[in-house]
Amino acid sequence: MSKIVLSGIGKSFGETPVLRGIDLTVEAGQFVTLVGPSGCGKSTLLRILAGLEAADTGTVTIGDRDVTRTRPSDRNLAMVFQSYALYPHLTVAENMMTPLKLRDLGPAGRLPIVGPMLARSEYLRLRQQVQTTAEALRIEALLHRKPGQLSGGQRQRAALGRAMVRNPVAFLMDEPLSNLDAALRVHMRAELSELHRRLETTFVYVTHDQAEALTMSDQMAVMMNGEILQYGRPAHVYGAPASLEVAKFIGSPAINVLPGEIDSTGGLSVMGKLLLPDTRLARQPVSVGVRPEHLTLDPNGSFRGVIRHRENLGSDLFLHVQLDGVEKAVILRSHPRILAGTGLEEEVTFSATADEVHVFGADGLRLHMARPSLVEVA
Amino acid sequence: MPGSRAYLWFIGPALILMFLILLLPIGIAGALSVTDYSLGNTSANFVGAENYERIFTRTTYEKMFGATFRYVFVVVPLTVFLGLGAALLIHSLTRFGDLYKTIYFLPVMAALIAMAIVWEFAFHPTIGIINATLERGCGTWLEAWNWYAAGCERTFPLWLTDRDYAIWTVAFIGVWQGFGFNMVLYLAGLTSIPRSLYDAAGMDGAQSGWDRFRLVTWPMLGPTTVFVVTISFIRSFQVFDTVEAFYPQGGGPSKSVYVMMFAIYEKAIQQNLMGIGAAITVVFLGFVMFLTILQRWLVERRTHYV
Repeated sequence: MSKIVLSGIGKSFGETPVLRGIDLTVEAGQFVTLVGPSGCGKSTLLRILAGLEAADTGTVTIGDRDVTRTRPSDRNLAMVFQSYALYPHLTVAENMMTPLKLRDLGPAGRLPIVGPMLARSEYLRLRQQVQTTAEALRIEALLHRKPGQLSGGQRQRAALGRAMVRNPVAFLMDEPLSNLDAALRVHMRAELSELHRRLETTFVYVTHDQAEALTMSDQMAVMMNGEILQYGRPAHVYGAPASLEVAKFIGSPAINVLPGEIDSTGGLSVMGKLLLPDTRLARQPVSVGVRPEHLTLDPNGSFRGVIRHRENLGSDLFLHVQLDGVEKAVILRSHPRILAGTGLEEEVTFSATADEVHVFGADGLRLHMARPSLVEVA
Repeated sequence: MPGSRAYLWFIGPALILMFLILLLPIGIAGALSVTDYSLGNTSANFVGAENYERIFTRTTYEKMFGATFRYVFVVVPLTVFLGLGAALLIHSLTRFGDLYKTIYFLPVMAALIAMAIVWEFAFHPTIGIINATLERGCGTWLEAWNWYAAGCERTFPLWLTDRDYAIWTVAFIGVWQGFGFNMVLYLAGLTSIPRSLYDAAGMDGAQSGWDRFRLVTWPMLGPTTVFVVTISFIRSFQVFDTVEAFYPQGGGPSKSVYVMMFAIYEKAIQQNLMGIGAAITVVFLGFVMFLTILQRWLVERRTHYV
């Protein structure tokens, strides 16, 4: 168990900068997720950590060891790839044996046919190790099949098995769930979290799916354009996004952004309606982010719009409401029972929970408001 | 539509063509091989297995098999090995890859008859560049090699007209001409290997290039190799133009370069002995058929090789 420190990592492909001086500290045993839209550099960062790609600037430290110039095999990290990258000509057992053989056996022991005879006791030990790992992942029945004969979920487990079998310092996962179907993905989320608790090893997990980041990680880093915009606990990133970009990326359905302004007395108003009387902020135009769950239907509400679309998920119902003067429909969460009788194109009124709104300045950064009186403005 | 005959219109043309241009000629060759037919004759006598008996007993045909198998078993391993080697080297290049590809592929595109004339000059005992180059090495440390010293003392081999060297020289030209083709096939195979497998191999502890080759490259090239080997076998069984260009009569010194295709040509066309020519053709077909079936079997064994 060691701490992983990335400092000042920069990388360009040709003229295009992909990473712009990334600093990231992963504490030992944590589950850290790098999340961001495709092309934000998260996979490149993971590959630099793994040693598969060389950084132009910066250093990678694992434990007390600077491994910036160390080849991947000497870093004792294991990686699970998006495509699983199982060797198609080898059975699952042989796939899991490969890292053990390459690390624990000399050149003679690795020879085909004669190798197992020369290093009989080692082979017995390695097979035992494969067996134990397979039992932990419940894939003993698959050990003698080849990857081509497995389903997506089974391949996923086999790839995990190959990573787990040699007790690495940390697991690196590059979008491991994105090739699975929706139901299996949700199931594997729980299973990976379970695995992390059981192994107590560091996980560095790359995904473009904010739901995976929110549900599994201890810490998440939101990346965009080669920079980490925010690093923190999922609840904190969700509850207090550091910038408008982060706020828009994290959360599904996406946060609603409404134009607002701070008046000369520090009062925050959204579309002309006063929401918070005193924010202690200077007078300026702002963007106000409100999550769908903080908008509630309210006969006396101050916002009024027309229902354009309804999405019934069974447990929740999302209404897309068109407001005058706002291009994008506002999404608000409600419950199917409450809205049983409401149809499309009907007019509704709603209010916002004032102490849950996020205010962003013209530069997109979060403005910290003083909230002396948490009043709900009707 | 039950009872419809529309399917006949779909498979009919292919069936008719296959019958007319493939099966019928093979059948005719098979029928001719048991007769003593000559072109121009109105009839032929049935001679039973006599033609086949000759093929497997006469020394001329023993030489034919000898020359063919020597050629095949030199050319196939070397073209496959060199093709793979060249492909690996070119694949590892970041620049000039296309240039090398073109250079190695040029002999494949060149007309072999024309190239044979060039090689004939190169191998010429007195004015040829090969022996002239070898002679320059005389008097140096190269003479420590007995063969070389003997060459300096008398003369270097008459590459094309010495019966000990002729077939190997022809095989060398076959390798020179053929490996570029295999290289292209292997290059296609190499580009289809997913990069992530090499990443996985790196993470798993494969440090040397040899480790990566054994763990990823070679197994992933398996299907390509089966194809390359089969194609090389069939192409080398078919060698004809170099032999015809160097030795228009008789198949080389002491018939040492009397390969199968040339034998068919000599018997059936030059000597107008259609019966025996057809019999050699049938034997030839047998070899090619065997190789093709072997390839099918090997490929099907690897179907789960997604």
